[in-house]
Amino acid sequence: MGTGYAIELNRLTKRYGAVVGVEGLTLNVRAGEVFGFLGPNGAGKTTTLRCLTGLLRPTSGRALMLGLDPIADHRRVAPAVGYLPGELRLYPELTGAQTLDLLSALQGVPSRRRGELCERLGLDSVVLRRTVGEYSRGMKQKIGLVQALQHDPRLVVLDEPTEGLDPLVQETFFELMREAAAGGRTVLLSSHVLPEVQRACGRVAIVRDGRLVTVESVAALREARARRIRLTFGDGAGPRPLGRADQWSPQWAGDRVELLVPPSEVVAALRGLLALAVADVTVEEAGLDEAFLDLYRNGEAGEEP
Amino acid sequence: MNSRWPLLWLALHRRRRMLVALVIGMAVFEALIVIVANAIPPGQLFSGRGKGTPSAFRAFSGSSGDVSIASYPGLLGAGLVHPFWIAMQLTAIGALAAAAVAADVESGTIELLIVRPVSRNRLLAERTVALGLAALALNAAATLTVATGVALSPDIHRDVPLSGVFAAGVMGCGFALCLMGPALAVSAWGRRRAQVIGATIAIGAVGFAVNFIALAWSKAAPLRFISPFHYYTPGDALAQGHVLWPQLGVLVGVGALGLVAAHALLMRRDLSP
Repeated sequence: MGTGYAIELNRLTKRYGAVVGVEGLTLNVRAGEVFGFLGPNGAGKTTTLRCLTGLLRPTSGRALMLGLDPIADHRRVAPAVGYLPGELRLYPELTGAQTLDLLSALQGVPSRRRGELCERLGLDSVVLRRTVGEYSRGMKQKIGLVQALQHDPRLVVLDEPTEGLDPLVQETFFELMREAAAGGRTVLLSSHVLPEVQRACGRVAIVRDGRLVTVESVAALREARARRIRLTFGDGAGPRPLGRADQWSPQWAGDRVELLVPPSEVVAALRGLLALAVADVTVEEAGLDEAFLDLYRNGEAGEEP
Repeated sequence: MNSRWPLLWLALHRRRRMLVALVIGMAVFEALIVIVANAIPPGQLFSGRGKGTPSAFRAFSGSSGDVSIASYPGLLGAGLVHPFWIAMQLTAIGALAAAAVAADVESGTIELLIVRPVSRNRLLAERTVALGLAALALNAAATLTVATGVALSPDIHRDVPLSGVFAAGVMGCGFALCLMGPALAVSAWGRRRAQVIGATIAIGAVGFAVNFIALAWSKAAPLRFISPFHYYTPGDALAQGHVLWPQLGVLVGVGALGLVAAHALLMRRDLSP
């Protein structure tokens, strides 16, 4: 792995006939990084992950895992990879234990962490003896996490990993991610749940309509993007012109208004706004949610990192 | 779970109840055929007062030669080309061929299998072996039941050598392979289990109908060459006491071509739900 990248996507394109799955996606994930892959449903996240894991053949471009082609070098690279599909499907006739045994046998490497993971995720022996068909969605997702991590892979690819997990188990999941990062493992976490990425990842790529919008650190994304300005007029007159600040799509609720303003414009915006009869004003850093929505609203962002 | 052949184990484990039911059904059905054949005294056979049965009836005696259904080989052969026998073969082959690839693609479970160090060759090989074992079990059940019946019935045994029974069993395995190959090719190409089951039924059931029509209607006679039942002739094997190698060669050849096509199709396709 001479490049130091655990994942390399080079102008990756996948089309289904006339429909574009992903288009010209270029992205590198460093070894040992917990990397977020963010976008709304239908943005091309799952298609990218399926190209990366060798389930789909790219129409053009290249995807590499641990420096190897996921199709041509499949048998060399797959033992070091753990994968949780976004739409996890299991065999309903098998018990939880049989499912993990089956997937472990196919993985071909010892499942060193199974006992520990089952214990931490609340999969006891009674649960594992039941057939998967009897499991709730959350239980199936736990099995999905165990099968992805039980062989302690160097590279973990997770598609919507917290779907169906209760808050307590989500905490355990984030602990596992922190431990993976501390242990030098690489994690690619695909999600449309913004706080999930915000908590777990150092950097994040945002995709829209199959194209890369931006790659930034979570901190930089938050820093570079909007500030939320809340104004209260207190005169009961309701919405009114805000002058130049109207360009920031004000959201009115009675005589209160919220605006998302780029950091470089905050001072100028406040000067204009405070000339009005304002009773109260607050300015706070927008969360990743707002940064994400801002990126989507203002699609002028660069296509590649 | 068999950790050496997990995909083979999975295919058979998931359909174990259906397979056990089919094997028992096959044994019971063939036992009934032997009992029915044994209930007809030799004097009542070939008693058509100079008239033979219509030539198309050879389709029901498992013969493309001259084995009449009004003979012990013909009666036993009828049990090996009977619609019930065909239905059981099609059920087992259709279900397991669908499970080879298409059912996993349809249900989405293919993702968990293929992201592991499992080559597409291995997936196809283990699933083909599972299908072969199921077909072998069905044909063994039929063959052993008929062989037991023949051994216990002196009247039948006079006309039907045991070697003929086992030769018919080998022909049955060839017939199963002839269906397996194309069915696996459809599975390797398709995204729905219904496509595989439909194709298997089309090859089996339509093949039988085409053979019957070709035997009954002289203008359609050339069509018989496209039916597997022109080559799968257990009645002839029962009467002659040996495997009909040219016919078996065609059945095995078609099956092998289907497997080659399945391999080529699987290598080229996307494997996502």
